Amino acid sequence: MASVKLENISKSWGNVTAVKNISLTIQDQEFLVLLGPSGCGKTTTMRMIAGLEEPSKGNIFIGEKRVNDELPKDRDVAMVFQNYGLYPHMSVYENIRYPLKVRKVPKSLHENLVRKTAQKVELEDLLNRRPRELSGGQRQRVALARAIVRAPTVFLMDEPLSNLDAKLRVNMRAELKHLQHELKITTIYVTHDQIEAMTLADRVAVMDHGIISQLDSPEKIYNDPANLFVAGFIGSPSMNLVKGELKEGIFKHSNFSVKVGLKECSEATLGVRPEDLELTNPEKAVCSGRVYSFELTGESTLVTLQFEEDRLTVRGHNKYRVEIDEIVGVNIFPEKCYIFETETQQRLRR
Amino acid sequence: MLSRPARKQINDFLQFFLILSAAVFIMIPIYWIISGAFKQQVDIFQLKLLFTPTLENFKIIFKSPYNLLDKLYNSTVVAFSTVVVAIPLATIAAYSFSRFRLTGERIMFVMILSTQFVPAVVIVLPFFILFRDLGILDTKLSLVLVNLSLIMPFAIWMIKGFIDGIPLDTEEAALVDGSNRIQVIKNVVLPMALPGVITAAIFCFILAWNEFLFAVIITTNKAVTMPVGLSMFHAEEGVLWHLISAAGIMIMLPMFVLATLIQKHFVQGMTMGAVR
Repeated sequence: MASVKLENISKSWGNVTAVKNISLTIQDQEFLVLLGPSGCGKTTTMRMIAGLEEPSKGNIFIGEKRVNDELPKDRDVAMVFQNYGLYPHMSVYENIRYPLKVRKVPKSLHENLVRKTAQKVELEDLLNRRPRELSGGQRQRVALARAIVRAPTVFLMDEPLSNLDAKLRVNMRAELKHLQHELKITTIYVTHDQIEAMTLADRVAVMDHGIISQLDSPEKIYNDPANLFVAGFIGSPSMNLVKGELKEGIFKHSNFSVKVGLKECSEATLGVRPEDLELTNPEKAVCSGRVYSFELTGESTLVTLQFEEDRLTVRGHNKYRVEIDEIVGVNIFPEKCYIFETETQQRLRR
Repeated sequence: MLSRPARKQINDFLQFFLILSAAVFIMIPIYWIISGAFKQQVDIFQLKLLFTPTLENFKIIFKSPYNLLDKLYNSTVVAFSTVVVAIPLATIAAYSFSRFRLTGERIMFVMILSTQFVPAVVIVLPFFILFRDLGILDTKLSLVLVNLSLIMPFAIWMIKGFIDGIPLDTEEAALVDGSNRIQVIKNVVLPMALPGVITAAIFCFILAWNEFLFAVIITTNKAVTMPVGLSMFHAEEGVLWHLISAAGIMIMLPMFVLATLIQKHFVQGMTMGAVR
């Protein structure tokens, strides 16, 4: 078990900078998720921790030890790859045993360790199969088993669930969470899927263009976004963002105004989540718009309203029904609104 | 208009006919060689299908002055040595080209391939002079060296293609699992590239086995190989086609056996796919 510390880490290839001066400490036994859109530098960051990529600048510590110059094999990390990286010419048993074999764990222990691990991920019956004879979910389990068989100090997972179908992904997610809780191993997990990030993480580092946009608990990331990027990235459907101006504590949009009690700002962006808006009669509402689309998701409905240039999505009751082009009113509650300075993209706080 | 089933029948027949013609066209020389090997000299130019087969030709070619067994031995030693040296070296080179970004990598690769553009006839003389000065003319060593220079670029290029097809994830997984680079090559890359390496080895063996131009110039007596031996069947009465046919079979036979034995790998080499 160990903490992982990144100190002013950068990585560039020629003119392209993938990671820009990141500093980050992952506590012992913590589950940290690196979340961001593709190309934000999250995988590169993880590969640098694994030793598969050399940082252009900065230091990486695992525990107390600086590992910049250590080979991947000497860092005592285990990694699960997006495409699993299984050895196709070996049986499941041999795949799981491989780390023990190359790390010279006494042979007499192999059988016991492999079987115990296989049991943990429910693979006991498949030990003699080859990877190509397994389903996606089973392959994923083999990759997991291979990573946990030798109890590494740090677990690295690079979008391990992205090749699975939706239902299996939900199951595996729960299993991963359980496994990490049981093994108590420091885990760094890369994903672009915010649901995975929210459900799995102790802390989430939201990355954008090579920097960490916000590092916080999932709850804070969702309820207290630090900037426009995080606000827009987290949440499904994503937060409504409309541009306007802030004058005398009132956010003014061409169709409505909301009293938010903040200092002046000529160009501001108001953010409000679909579930924090309320559908109502046009006469009683703060503002009203024409229905652009209506979607029933099962547990709720999503109504998108068109204003001149902007659209607002509102989450309604699952019994709510409305026709396209009808005029509908919306109530906006000031305490549920987030205000951002459009130019700096930073949150303005009360 | 023809009905669909009728059209399909005609189509099928045409396909069958075309394939059959191609097969016959390819097989005729081989048939000619095989039948010629069992004919007596008087029958050799006659196209009759019925003749009294004889094994006499095979007895003659292994006796003096032809001594084909020596040449068979030379060919085997030269071809095997070439492959045994070329394939491991080529595999390591191919791995480096495939996986590491080296300075001047492109130029090196183009240079290696460009050796294949030089007609063999052009470099025969330099090789001859070189080997004469080294005092290794007419030795199996000289033939192995020549073959290596011909085969290595081809082998590197071919094996690189197979290694390129191995997903990087698998190798990186092995690195993180605790292997060093040599173990990665030994435990992961080589087993996965094996069908490709074997395919390359077969091609190299065939090239070395059939090599004629260099052998005929570099060897005179001691290190003569089968293809060169084949050209020795001249006599005052003309070309001894019945003996050439018998010797031809002796050249083809090992290839045929080899191909049959490793056919499985060969097909796998062509259709290898990685696990995703």
